[in-house]
Amino acid sequence: MTRRLLLAVAACGLAATAGCAHPDERGDAAAAVARQLAEAATAGDGATACALLAPDTRAELESSAGTPCAAAIGAEDLPAPAAVTAVDVYGESARVVTATDTVFLGTFPGGWRVVAAGCTGRGDGRPYDCALQGG
Amino acid sequence: MRRFLRQNSLGLVFGVLFLLALVGQAFAGHADYNDQLRSDGLAEVSLGRYLTSASFAVDVAENWQSEYLQFFLFVTLTVWLVQRGSPESKPLDAVGREPDADQHVGEHARADSPAWARARGWRLGVYSNSLGLVMGLIFLLSWLVQSVAGAAAYNEEQLRRLQDPVPWGAYLLEADFWNRTLQNWQSELLAVASMAILSIYLRQRGSPESKPVGSAHDTTGVEG
Repeated sequence: MTRRLLLAVAACGLAATAGCAHPDERGDAAAAVARQLAEAATAGDGATACALLAPDTRAELESSAGTPCAAAIGAEDLPAPAAVTAVDVYGESARVVTATDTVFLGTFPGGWRVVAAGCTGRGDGRPYDCALQGG
Repeated sequence: MRRFLRQNSLGLVFGVLFLLALVGQAFAGHADYNDQLRSDGLAEVSLGRYLTSASFAVDVAENWQSEYLQFFLFVTLTVWLVQRGSPESKPLDAVGREPDADQHVGEHARADSPAWARARGWRLGVYSNSLGLVMGLIFLLSWLVQSVAGAAAYNEEQLRRLQDPVPWGAYLLEADFWNRTLQNWQSELLAVASMAILSIYLRQRGSPESKPVGSAHDTTGVEG
């Protein structure tokens, strides 16, 4: 019995590397949300862009700007949409790298939402520096 | 039925306790995982989703690998290593793999000996080491699962902290992997050493893991 359970956990552990459920689909969904944010922000569609943000990210943006999200997000000057070069999905988090941006996402009841965008690497294992992120 | 339960009570009780502890770990781990998600501003997940997560898998596997490593080492090293006065040790003059006659193998097999104990060649070789081999194999598989699930769980945390994920090979060099591994190894090795040493001087009446209460401290290889 113990060996059977071990194998079950082993299989899940191996599957969990990519999220334990259709990693390609989850990655594609995360990339789609990242692209929608870039498109909406570039087009000046603040309402659509803000609907794609994680609650804490949206709250932080409104708090720091002192204006509603839809009005504030345009000033963040997020990079324009570009081809996706890499997608990483681990559990409830994802990272989408495009030719112009790195976007971090988390899962929510409505699907993937953007936790941070407009991010640039700082090297040495330090967190990305992001134009838009939660508190 | 009652006879069966009584005659297999050791395995059955430990099996049930194992399942209860695993269920408890699942609920506690789920609550802890959701605490972390909440503090990071993310949505909580269901118990089912947590049970298929890398976080749960690595927490289970890191403990399993160390337990099976402990038994693998204990089973194999006690062939050659002895401890004067310990019931966990064989007699001091019996170091090694012991003669075929003492092991009831080959031409010395008894009527009720397992078939592979009567066999020659690779079958006897495999069966003669089957306990250690299986313990060692489960250890390696559990450690592999720990490394794979651990890399996924580590990378999930990396992404939450807006940091780059690392490939599996690089994770094997990360402090997280070795911290998880060694914190379990040290406790298992301490437990074995404690059992080998304390059982020289201390007794548990009626337990086969102890010497008889009245046995001398330097009596070795006798179980009560």
